[in-house]
Amino acid sequence: MPRKNVSPYLFGVIIAGVAFGMVMLGLGLKHPEAVPNYYFYIFSAIALAASLRVITHQRPVYSALYFVLTILASSGLYLILSAEFMTFALIIVYAGAILITYLFVIMLATEAPSEEQPDILTEYDRVSREPVVATLAGFILLAGLTTLFAVGLPNVRPGANLEAGDRQLAFMSRKVEPILKQAGLLKEGEKVVPIRVETTSYGMPKDGDTTLDAIKIKAVDGKERLLLRADWPPTLVLSNTEGVAFSLINNHPGAIEIAGVILLMAMLGAVVLARKKVELDEFALNTAIARQRSGSDDDLGTEGPFARPGTGEGGAV
Amino acid sequence: MNSSNVFSTLAQGPLPQIMSSVTLYHYLVVSAAMFCIGIIGFLTRRNLIIMFLCTELMFQAAGIAFIAFSRFHMNHTGETFVIFVLTVAAAEAALALALVVLLFRRKESLDGDAWTELKG
Repeated sequence: MPRKNVSPYLFGVIIAGVAFGMVMLGLGLKHPEAVPNYYFYIFSAIALAASLRVITHQRPVYSALYFVLTILASSGLYLILSAEFMTFALIIVYAGAILITYLFVIMLATEAPSEEQPDILTEYDRVSREPVVATLAGFILLAGLTTLFAVGLPNVRPGANLEAGDRQLAFMSRKVEPILKQAGLLKEGEKVVPIRVETTSYGMPKDGDTTLDAIKIKAVDGKERLLLRADWPPTLVLSNTEGVAFSLINNHPGAIEIAGVILLMAMLGAVVLARKKVELDEFALNTAIARQRSGSDDDLGTEGPFARPGTGEGGAV
Repeated sequence: MNSSNVFSTLAQGPLPQIMSSVTLYHYLVVSAAMFCIGIIGFLTRRNLIIMFLCTELMFQAAGIAFIAFSRFHMNHTGETFVIFVLTVAAAEAALALALVVLLFRRKESLDGDAWTELKG
């Protein structure tokens, strides 16, 4: 890209990046089994640094952009935790939709820069409120949380058998049958039938065993046989998206309806709020007039007394 | 599972074995740190939009904890719940930003302190 002055910092950043990448590559070659650990530390460092920047940057637009970086880094964390569906949902919904709305509003609701003041930093963006007390409170909260985690985590028991977590495969006959047929394990007329187990209210098997041991197959004459896990074709795996979809539809059908209602109410509320006409209160009126006066006096006649560049004059007057 | 292990590992089974040294505790600490950053931001910043951005940061921290627990229990309910966190975040963004635009149009300022008379 053509540029007049290339900052010397840029070279430093590039060299540091290359060096960091080479160190990571070397470590990864030495301990290939630990590579996801490195990614965990990289992604969480980026996420935390960017979220610090969100709350410390003076310009709202940059804060929002750093928040996008936080989202991207934490979606990397999701990916390490093998939640692929939520990774992409997060990027699309959060970084793509919600943050764009924020950026729109930030650009709508800030004072437009004028000729003599191209660089406006408002007072409420420059000066924070009680930073020392708030940071102290934050650190105390962090200490409490981490202590509680350290104390409580040993009591959190994972289930008995967590090998693959694909118990839901037992209910997905339309997915399982073609795969078994292709592998020649399912004869004509045979059907996969679900194995019912007792589950807790949130869809976890009562015995804590989240791995399916065998698939039950029912022949035409009603005889049932079990296909053990060792005999399964290697293509028979439960993908993350299928698991989430099954959990969503099978275990939480009511929650989807509620989510739909929440979104509908939010949409209605936003429409109602945005339609409302607002009167400027006395203080804002005076400042608007004063700003107009202090600006160029010639414009006063041609433009309305409250016409300001950059703010929505349609609803304000 | 070794019951004497203080920080029960996230590694259980073929896929997660490779990350045996990063445990559930690590993820929860990251989540807690991000949550606290969000709270600090909410308390210190005076710009209304940034305050709402900080609540989104707290949502995000909760999401990381949800996904980590979901992986730990090999149960997709945690991931499902993050979908609803996203829903609530979207609804909150729509409503809160509509309110912020209204407030800005009335006072010509995004200062949270400008609305102290709302205390009641």
